[in-house]
Amino acid sequence: MTHYAMVIDLATCVGCNACMAACSLENQTPVWADHWRTKVHDREVGDGHGITRRFIPRLCNHCDNPPCMTVCPSGATYKTKEGVVLVEVERCLGCGACAMACPYDARYPATSDDIDTGKEYYGKLQRKSPSMDKCSFCYHRLLKEGEPACVQTCVGYARMFGDLDQPNDPVTQLVRSGKARPLMAHLGTRPNVYYIPER
Amino acid sequence: MAWHYPKLTRRGFMWATGGGLAGLSLLKPLDLVSEAWATVKDKDQNQEEVVHSICNFCSSLCNIKATVVGKGKDRRIVKLDGNPNSTLNRGKMCARGQAGVRQVYDVDRIKTPMIRVEGSKRGEGKFRTATWAEAWSYIESKSKAAKIQPWEWTMVGGWTSCVFYMNWAVPFALSNGVPNIVASPMQHCVASGHLGTDSVTGNFNIHDEVLPDFDNANYILFIANNASIGAVSTSRMVRFATGRKRGARVVALDTRLSETAAKADEWIRIRPGTDLDFLIAVMQVMMEEGWYDADFIRNHTNLPFLVQRAADGQWQLSTDPAGHPLVLDEMSGEVVALPSYSNQNALDVGGRKIKPALTVAENLAVAGKPVMTVFQAQKLEIKDKTPEAASKVTGIPAEVIRRIAEEFSHAGRPIIDPGWHGARYANINMLRRTQAMLQTLVGGIDRKGGWIMAAEYRHKITNWHKAKSEGKAMPGPLMTTMAGVPFVAELIKALSNPDTFPHKHPAWSFVFAAQERAAGREGVAVPALADTGLREAVEGKVMLNGEPYLARAILINAANPVRHYYPDSNWKEIMAHKNMELVVLVDVLPSDTVPYADVILPNPTYLERDEPTLYGNGVNHDLALVTRFRAIDPLYDTLETPDILLKMSQIISGSDENFHKMLEGLSGIPAAATRTAFEKYKAEGVNSPFSRACRDTSFSSTAERIHVSRDKLYTELKEQGIYFEERRDELLHAHSMPRHMAVPTTSGRLEFFGTLFQWLQTMGGKGASFNVLASTMPAQCRENKSMADALEPNEFYFTYGKTPTVSYGSTNSNNPVLAAINRFKKDIYTGIWIHPDRAKVLKIKTGDPIRLTNSRSGQQATGTAYVTAQLHPDSLFLHSSFGVENKALRLSYGIGTATNKLIPNWVEPVVAGFRSQEFTIKIEKI
Amino acid sequence: MDILTFTTQQHWTTWFAVYLFLGGMGAAVVAVSFLTHMYLREEKELVMWGALSGVAMMVVGSGMLFLHLLNKWAIFYIVSPYGVFHKPDSWIAWGSQFIVWIQIAAVLYALPYMVEKPRLLGWPVVGNVLKMPIVLQVAGVAKKIHPILGWVGIVTGIGTAVYTGLLLQSFPAVTLWHNPAVPILFTVSAFSTAMAWLLIVMYTFIYHRVDHSIRALYERIDLGLITAELIIVFSFFNFTLSGSEGGYRSAEMLWGSNGWLFGFVLFGLIVPLAMELKCVFGSWSGKAPIVTASLLVLNGGFQLRAYFMAAGIYAYPW
Ligand SMILES: Nc1nc2c(c(=O)[nH]1)N[C@H]1C(S)=C(S)[C@@H](COP(=O)(O)OP(=O)(O)OC[C@H]3O[C@@H](n4cnc5c(=O)[nH]c(N)nc54)[C@H](O)[C@@H]3O)O[C@H]1N2
Ligand SMILES: Nc1nc2c(c(=O)[nH]1)N[C@H]1C(S)=C(S)[C@@H](COP(=O)(O)OP(=O)(O)OC[C@H]3O[C@@H](n4cnc5c(=O)[nH]c(N)nc54)[C@H](O)[C@@H]3O)O[C@H]1N2
Ligand code: SF4
Ligand code: SF4
Ligand code: SF4
Ligand code: SF4
Ligand code: SF4
Ligand SMILES: [Mo]
Repeated sequence: MTHYAMVIDLATCVGCNACMAACSLENQTPVWADHWRTKVHDREVGDGHGITRRFIPRLCNHCDNPPCMTVCPSGATYKTKEGVVLVEVERCLGCGACAMACPYDARYPATSDDIDTGKEYYGKLQRKSPSMDKCSFCYHRLLKEGEPACVQTCVGYARMFGDLDQPNDPVTQLVRSGKARPLMAHLGTRPNVYYIPER
Repeated sequence: MAWHYPKLTRRGFMWATGGGLAGLSLLKPLDLVSEAWATVKDKDQNQEEVVHSICNFCSSLCNIKATVVGKGKDRRIVKLDGNPNSTLNRGKMCARGQAGVRQVYDVDRIKTPMIRVEGSKRGEGKFRTATWAEAWSYIESKSKAAKIQPWEWTMVGGWTSCVFYMNWAVPFALSNGVPNIVASPMQHCVASGHLGTDSVTGNFNIHDEVLPDFDNANYILFIANNASIGAVSTSRMVRFATGRKRGARVVALDTRLSETAAKADEWIRIRPGTDLDFLIAVMQVMMEEGWYDADFIRNHTNLPFLVQRAADGQWQLSTDPAGHPLVLDEMSGEVVALPSYSNQNALDVGGRKIKPALTVAENLAVAGKPVMTVFQAQKLEIKDKTPEAASKVTGIPAEVIRRIAEEFSHAGRPIIDPGWHGARYANINMLRRTQAMLQTLVGGIDRKGGWIMAAEYRHKITNWHKAKSEGKAMPGPLMTTMAGVPFVAELIKALSNPDTFPHKHPAWSFVFAAQERAAGREGVAVPALADTGLREAVEGKVMLNGEPYLARAILINAANPVRHYYPDSNWKEIMAHKNMELVVLVDVLPSDTVPYADVILPNPTYLERDEPTLYGNGVNHDLALVTRFRAIDPLYDTLETPDILLKMSQIISGSDENFHKMLEGLSGIPAAATRTAFEKYKAEGVNSPFSRACRDTSFSSTAERIHVSRDKLYTELKEQGIYFEERRDELLHAHSMPRHMAVPTTSGRLEFFGTLFQWLQTMGGKGASFNVLASTMPAQCRENKSMADALEPNEFYFTYGKTPTVSYGSTNSNNPVLAAINRFKKDIYTGIWIHPDRAKVLKIKTGDPIRLTNSRSGQQATGTAYVTAQLHPDSLFLHSSFGVENKALRLSYGIGTATNKLIPNWVEPVVAGFRSQEFTIKIEKI
Repeated sequence: MDILTFTTQQHWTTWFAVYLFLGGMGAAVVAVSFLTHMYLREEKELVMWGALSGVAMMVVGSGMLFLHLLNKWAIFYIVSPYGVFHKPDSWIAWGSQFIVWIQIAAVLYALPYMVEKPRLLGWPVVGNVLKMPIVLQVAGVAKKIHPILGWVGIVTGIGTAVYTGLLLQSFPAVTLWHNPAVPILFTVSAFSTAMAWLLIVMYTFIYHRVDHSIRALYERIDLGLITAELIIVFSFFNFTLSGSEGGYRSAEMLWGSNGWLFGFVLFGLIVPLAMELKCVFGSWSGKAPIVTASLLVLNGGFQLRAYFMAAGIYAYPW
């Protein structure tokens, strides 16, 4: 079996935003509305001489217990056998419940206006109808190129992608060793995106 | 942004709009039906193809692949990625590179030639579209009517023009008698700064020659680096990240917590302009404590060379009567002569094995004159430049400086990054030079875990040595086979020598510099490819042989001087001047310089181009060839650079005969074969037939040179995007410099005693900048004040740096994806950084509009405050990427503050590097 | 990693409070009027008013939601009964069914009376529809299965009211919402506002036609509900004060804003409670005080939801 997961190494993320750019072009997201499937935050932490600058990439965590899926009334949000949480565009009402339920702010609306703008913008648009949107772990790429667009371009090797069912996968080892930890685990969402803290 | 209830009720938000839009969207599915049909119809339009190319957004020159979908006219580039076959960028690309595809489809592109509307003034930006024929005839009739002479032309180019078209641009200039070239990277980085490094290593390549081996380093020290590493030069970043993951300790000297500094284990928040003091103190400690690789410096540097004081107190090398440098042999205790040019000091001129001393007795004399080694002289020069002394001006405790010296020298495989952007302070050359010296002291030159020379550069030097050993001056055509300081020297000679051209006009920059010196002012020693003197030439103030040497016409290709040079008003006034007869500009987007042109010629974007030749692989350690393959046919009525230069040759010289000849002589492009191919493609109606012809012959001659079939070379490049000739490890094994091969300095050794600066003194250089040894050189931000003296409450040192998402002050701030990221990070990227301690006193908060005034020049600009503790309280920081003034760049117009509204035209005396931070800024709330 | 951002979502804003308010109240109105009709007294006027005004509220309320759907055509997936089989774990799937069926039940329950009501028959369009033979036939059937319809209405009505709270409770990232008191609070509030609305109806539109004892009963029940609501609200305050920073911020935001303090707690609960106390046990009589108190309760009901949406604070580690 396959169980996809991502590890993000905060020690080498330089906040370059290449992942944002790559993702938006790969997945044609409505950047004009400041909507991205992944964002990299740039935050000041601490004060005085202890000041640090933290870059925090975030995206859908493809939770194993995804509240977004539970609340979804139409079943548009579903989980693949590989553990990827996806939205079936045609089935999605765009009610927004999933966005409310997501503790990671991973979802945004792709509206019909966005579709109009997107056609001008991207030429041919993959999307045919509006829906809630979010990171898909680049499911469409996984068979072809093996890894998501953001991972492939990450100049800091901060984003790593792997299969937790493969014990030798470096990602699996980072997760099992406890070096990489999920965000807000106490919520019981069981995320599949893990973070290695800065050193 | 959170929505707050009280606000919401007042605005009754989302009611009306939400409802209205919702209503409309009910109609959408009708569209779906027609789209579904469209999908059925063009199923085979979804065919994907991968095309290889080179990124054009910065001079990191990443190798990329474009995914193209569809056929014929519907072909569309959908995605760019790093080329996974590339060992340079390792399949990665930064945000700018990723967004590159949007440049092709930028709706604001220049789509046809344009001519300034009759009666309008330059700068008003009123243009009419024109055909190429109209554009050419406009240029031709204008230059005839105004009788523009060849030397009255000035060519202006950016890094794109240098890297990709240098082999056309220089022959163009020389064949048409144009001595004047301004290249935008020179005064900002390539000359200013790099020359310091190069004086030690003998390097110098167009766009970088050293790529440190961060992968294998265990200690990395960054000095004023950011965009060159983590924000972002991909080839460096991927290596840095790997090194860091492998456990390298990282220390960054920066005035602010830059992206790169944020990844360091230790951020040293140094006071602006004082890095040199810091590093000289580090050097002082290392020399005093003996923390250096004694064998390496004894054997491969000129540190053991003997020096003496000349009558004027200047240091000079002691030589034997034949001019050979002298050293004291520790084995025999005798002073012996070394070969003048060699990679090592282990054998004397007679071939005897010796051990040169780094330190000699105080009473040693040669020919009656007291001598000491360069090592001792250098030590003496900085004897009292201790960490304690440095701590006052840098604001960094002496223990920290001492500790860094110890860590760096004891790490095993330490790297002090050479640095990239120059300018800022007159001391930048000295700073970069000191960095090179520190790297030399630990023996970290051209070895694993140290600085490693670019393979392309190494290859040229190897061939040059081979040619020299065969008694030839050059291994082949100047442009394609020469490198390092010898290459620069050739270029400088050509541009500064009145005898280069029959018309006896050297470049106006050199004439102006001599004129300044004659008038008792500080003239620039090597104003090569610099803009110093242009203004005076336009105004008729540069005199040659008693006559005004006028600059009356400009050809700008891929450069944006109005935004990139200091101050912005300078170039505006130059181009708008009444003496200026003709401004021709080539670009892809309406930069801030575009409104000042008479004729605008559109280039195809890089993804629409096959380039006219093959290129080396930039700073890669592996020797490889790359080129571009066009991803799609040009969308608009555009022409490539070689074709434009060919046509311009016909206009300026009445014929392109000489251009062809020079192309053959200087760049090795065979005239006859190229012309035949050109005629053929022209007849076939191929777009940019000359470029295509050059590409043809380049493929043939390159295949011949590397002994493979043309087909194999072509197929490999087409399919892999990169053709490897030789790998790093083999190259280092056989040709590491200076361990196995001399570096192209005067002596072949790494030079602490700077013979380059000695030479520049003969060209008129005077003062601390030309010191043959390294020492401190205080930045002069205020008259007669030290950097450590207290600032007024509203006074700050000015600092700037590049944004991860923008190249230079370039048009790519208009790229929709990048513009969207910039909006997302608006405060950080487009705000003016101020420390909270200072902001509090001035009652300034993030988002407040403020006015900035340069206290030296009085220049003013406005901007928005971003209050953050991530910088030195003495400094203001501004990203140097914004301030677009041309409304035609619709997404970036009016955003942020332009640095060049605040920076005056003040240059240092070596290469006219900009002293772009050597002043203070006063701010007030508005 | 430590939390760096506290924020409120942008997806469901004021319009959603309207949906929760009108949906919950409408459903409770239907349930209460049916219960009254089935077990207390056959007040035709009340049942018509209850059913129709309840339906109207729910139409407007769920209309809000519908208008904000990105893809209106996909509504099909949740209105068809198959929806809950497909997604039994989704409260919205259940809620949608409740809302659909309660409206059907309500209209059918009222239909036998409507076809007899001269004033309605006199209305354009409506009158014509009511006079259609098929409608009359349906009304006949409805009359026969009145108890079943009534129970469908009551169950789905309570279901809908509870659902408006369950919905918020199913968002785990927000301390304020993610706890079992929310459905109780919203149910109590839904019924309290329903009482208030029916009291207004009975005191104004159909004053003489409805028995005084019903009004008195409603007033007493409402007193109980408001008291219960007050208790829940204050226990909420206590709950959010410790345990999570997000909860604390919610408390801070709610109890620091005048709208919540005065608009909801004081004028939405305490004042109407006092006024109704005075009406029931004290000296006040006449319509005005009780209508005023009821209007305050209605406003409070809306404020509660609006503030609950606004103060639903998410805490993010970035
Ligand atoms: N304000 C400001 N000025 C700076 C800097 C800065 O950061 N800020 N950085 C300095 C440094 S370090 C450097 S190296 C220089 C670099 O300066 P340049 O090399 O001049 O920089 P670019 O912005 O890449 O290129 C300038 C112009 O080339 C155009 N261009 C892009 N692609 C093409 C093309 O394919 N064909 C043609 N014909 N034109 C094209 C762009 O639209 C732009 O107008 O700038 C220096 N000046
Ligand atoms: N995003 C992006 N990347 C690029 C380019 C680009 O245009 N955009 N261009 C490429 C080119 S041509 C160049 S030249 C390089 C330039 O790359 P770098 O040389 O790294 O230049 P900057 O990022 O401008 O500045 C580096 C840092 O210097 C700091 N600084 C300023 N003054 C001082 C000082 O006095 N002391 C110290 N210690 N630090 C100081 C600034 O805060 C900034 O963080 O980038 C290359 N990479
Ligand atoms: S991160 Fe959010 S959207 Fe993604 S699976 Fe988890 S709950 Fe769902
Ligand atoms: S917006 Fe779409 S995916 Fe999200 S809950 Fe509603 S129907 Fe499901
Ligand atoms: S995995 Fe794909 S969809 Fe998700 S953030 Fe990365 S690029 Fe975007
Ligand atoms: S591409 Fe990698 S290094 Fe750059 S911001 Fe994204 S995660 Fe960080
Ligand atoms: S570093 Fe970025 S902009 Fe520069 S060449 Fe590479 S991908 Fe292009
Ligand atoms: Mo540069």
